[in-house]
Amino acid sequence: MSDKKKNASKTEVKKAKISSPASSFKVVVREIVKDKVALTAFIIIVLILLFTFGGSLFLDSSKVTEINIIDAYNGWGVNGHLFGTDDGGRDIVNLLIMGGRNSILIGLGVTAVCELVGLVVGLVSGYYGGYIDAIIMRIVDFVQVLPRMPIEIVLVTVIPHYSAWSLVWIISVFGWTNTARYFRAFVLSQRDRDYVLASKTSGSSDLKIMFREVLPNITSMLIIDVVLTIAGNIGIETTLSFIGYGLPPTTPSLGTLIGFANDPVNVVNRPWLWLPATVMLLAISLSINYVGRALQRAGDARQREN
Amino acid sequence: MWKTVLRRILIMIPQLIILSILVFFLAKMMPGDPFSGQINPNTDPKQLAALKQAAGLNDPAPVQYARWVGNLFKGDMGTSYIQHVPVTSLIADRAVNTFWLSLLTTIICYAISIPLGVTAGRHQDEWQDQTVQIFNYITFAVPAFVFFILGIWLFGFTLGWFPISGSVSPNASGFWGTLGSQLYHILLPAILSALITTTSIVQYLRTGIVDNKVEDYVRTAHSKGVPDNVVFNKHILRNSLLPIASSFGTVITGLLSGSMVVEMVFSYPGMGKLFLDSIGQRDYTTLTALILIFGTLTLLGNLLSDIIMSIVDPRIRIK
Amino acid sequence: MAKEIIQVKNLKVHYPIRSGFWNRITDYVRAVDDVSLTINEGETYGLIGESGSGKSTTGKAIVGVEPVTSGQIIYKDVDVTKPSNRRKLNYNKDVQMIFQDSMSSLNPRKRIEDIIAEPIRNFENLTTDQERTRVQELLDIVGMPSDAIYKFPHEFSGGQRQRIGVARAVATNPRLIVADEPTSALDLSVQAQVLNFMKHIQQQYNIAYLFISHDLGVVKHMSENLAIMHRGRLVEIGSRADIYNHPMHIYTKRLLSAIPMVDVENRIKHKKHRQEVELEFQNDQSKWYDKNGCVYPLQQVSGNHWVALPKDEVIQEELNEKGRD
Repeated sequence: MSDKKKNASKTEVKKAKISSPASSFKVVVREIVKDKVALTAFIIIVLILLFTFGGSLFLDSSKVTEINIIDAYNGWGVNGHLFGTDDGGRDIVNLLIMGGRNSILIGLGVTAVCELVGLVVGLVSGYYGGYIDAIIMRIVDFVQVLPRMPIEIVLVTVIPHYSAWSLVWIISVFGWTNTARYFRAFVLSQRDRDYVLASKTSGSSDLKIMFREVLPNITSMLIIDVVLTIAGNIGIETTLSFIGYGLPPTTPSLGTLIGFANDPVNVVNRPWLWLPATVMLLAISLSINYVGRALQRAGDARQREN
Repeated sequence: MWKTVLRRILIMIPQLIILSILVFFLAKMMPGDPFSGQINPNTDPKQLAALKQAAGLNDPAPVQYARWVGNLFKGDMGTSYIQHVPVTSLIADRAVNTFWLSLLTTIICYAISIPLGVTAGRHQDEWQDQTVQIFNYITFAVPAFVFFILGIWLFGFTLGWFPISGSVSPNASGFWGTLGSQLYHILLPAILSALITTTSIVQYLRTGIVDNKVEDYVRTAHSKGVPDNVVFNKHILRNSLLPIASSFGTVITGLLSGSMVVEMVFSYPGMGKLFLDSIGQRDYTTLTALILIFGTLTLLGNLLSDIIMSIVDPRIRIK
Repeated sequence: MAKEIIQVKNLKVHYPIRSGFWNRITDYVRAVDDVSLTINEGETYGLIGESGSGKSTTGKAIVGVEPVTSGQIIYKDVDVTKPSNRRKLNYNKDVQMIFQDSMSSLNPRKRIEDIIAEPIRNFENLTTDQERTRVQELLDIVGMPSDAIYKFPHEFSGGQRQRIGVARAVATNPRLIVADEPTSALDLSVQAQVLNFMKHIQQQYNIAYLFISHDLGVVKHMSENLAIMHRGRLVEIGSRADIYNHPMHIYTKRLLSAIPMVDVENRIKHKKHRQEVELEFQNDQSKWYDKNGCVYPLQQVSGNHWVALPKDEVIQEELNEKGRD
């Protein structure tokens, strides 16, 4: 396959460049760049990523969470701590970097699992239809009516050797259903298109049709869903950490930092503990969602054009 | 229509059964048993083992499950490990609080979202619509707890307009005094919860109106010379509002799952707070009961949605 | 007599209707109900019917993309309604399809090269160079420029896309192509062009067509034998001469009388003929249709000519015909 592509590009480089698929990702990117607010949101995302992931390169994670009682509850800018320190004398800026990174990583991890499972389930369910679809959809229905957060919290407390990975799996158990539904609906609409029939008569297997024919037609939807799901999953992780049943206590999270606001004393007297994290989470949620929505609008516009 | 409702209820039965099995195994995964709370250094291990045997804790899982379900039907959800009172009475007190909070939230939610949705749909792409869209985007994007924290910080602590915790002031006296104090306490959490619940209703309503506007029947009405206002109120609005009715069940469900965070931030003694307290104290009988209740209520909420939908929309009824 | 290539025997495609409290199957939609026909090598067999008559479903069943309820499709002495038999024979290498909507039948995300090469990759072992040569050759046959292979479907006109569809269908040198209304979505001027390409290819490679259409004019231009379908059943089958010159069933007559004609001089005469046919249809419903509104089983009239009428009615009709002659 790749050899063929290479040959093609060697022989007819110029001509190959002329054409692009009907609804390519590039077009969507162009739409985003045209939308100034979306562009700003995108830049904010990049800055936050640089701050958290870049910053964490310079930090020793064991030192960040090291307890130093003497430095506890330093205020803004005291002793070289720009945003002060928490009850254990840990520097808030460092915790923001690590916590932000962890929260984003968990969001990405959960999204990866959910999108993968949801995509495969949605493709299979929508493509085959019939009994397979009926059974899968009953399962999806059931998972969706489960009281998600209480079960997640209980699982967090009872699972042995609890770690950040456990959290990814626990959140994913409930997260894949929306994605599966979303893709199923679309695959269902593609299933009876003539190009699928044409592939069948061309002798392609069901698997090949699902992943090589139908999947390329839903890539832009996949991108939109991934972006919005990341935002949602960061929200779920931080919520759980905020309540106290998210990331393990030794692993900083934005939710844990915001959790300081559960103590009225902190709310009034020590805003440095929770306010920066709150602002950062706000910035992350608002910008990722805005980019996601802008992508959605661009995608819708393209669909209307076709 | 009764057939549709009946079938929908029948579908719920296996869901309830699976839910109960799931909760049962979740309960089994939790450490501790009804006697853990009563153990003290003087307890004779042999006596304890005998007690466990007598209580059937060594029976095979299906037998234990059957007994547990049997007790549920008798209204016995076990005794709290920590508080040593029947779980049902523990939950009943809190459920009332959660009920009032949810009720007020629902009322405020619809009171806000219907006008917003209608305005946005009516003035599609004008400044009114754009303003609503921005509002909608914020309520959608911001995680609920961040919303609550900022709300309580601004209106509770900084401005001091609302109380920051509890369900009633200890100084409140008399029927009206107590009621007023209760209302005052749930007002801020209810408004904040309502605001973040509006998103989907506003969106559905707006889309419904926008879509209905270009339907042929609306064009027919226009071409017959029906005044714009009448067309909007009698045709577009009615057809767009009906589907909103079915969102009711979903809203209730959403509030239940969200109750934990609101009640935590506002230290409001409802079921969500009880759940968090119980998990902090590892009070597993209470937890199990609460999960079962949350699950059942969610199922009922969905049932309600579907039933309302089948009343409103004749197309999905069984012929 | 020409060698037959495929035989359809008592083909039925039924879809269940579920309803009631338990969602049980209460009835069936009889999309295709007891259809039998035989297509000879290298001929064009026309299948005509109004929309919803089951003609496309029949075509799809023959290609193997529509599950069959009962009946047989015999190809090379085996029943190809079974997927395992199709796989054994590499059935779709020999039996291909051309679709009505050229836009939706070409995957918008694939280049023309990959679209045309898909059956080749699945059925033939060619090196990349051979494959490319073959694709170029196919494009040449349907009269498309060679740089088309790097383009995407949306960059072509409807007629061009349909020619790409034809190229894909003939890519594996098939012996039968089911053409499901291949030109009804095209402009009239382009229709003739595509039809001529199809005829040209047929002569060159001895391909048989099952030509599905609702347009009797187009079918007359294309096919030697034809079948008329109505409500899932065959109404009348026969040679072109049989159907066009001696239609027996009222449905066929109505269809024929509905062909628009540019013949100003005989305008009154045509109109009178149409009204006669309509009157005949109105008066004797029960003669043509059973109580469910379906046509009767086929009866032989002569050689290849079969019509869906009760036996005695056939004789009666024949006498009428003779009298008229």
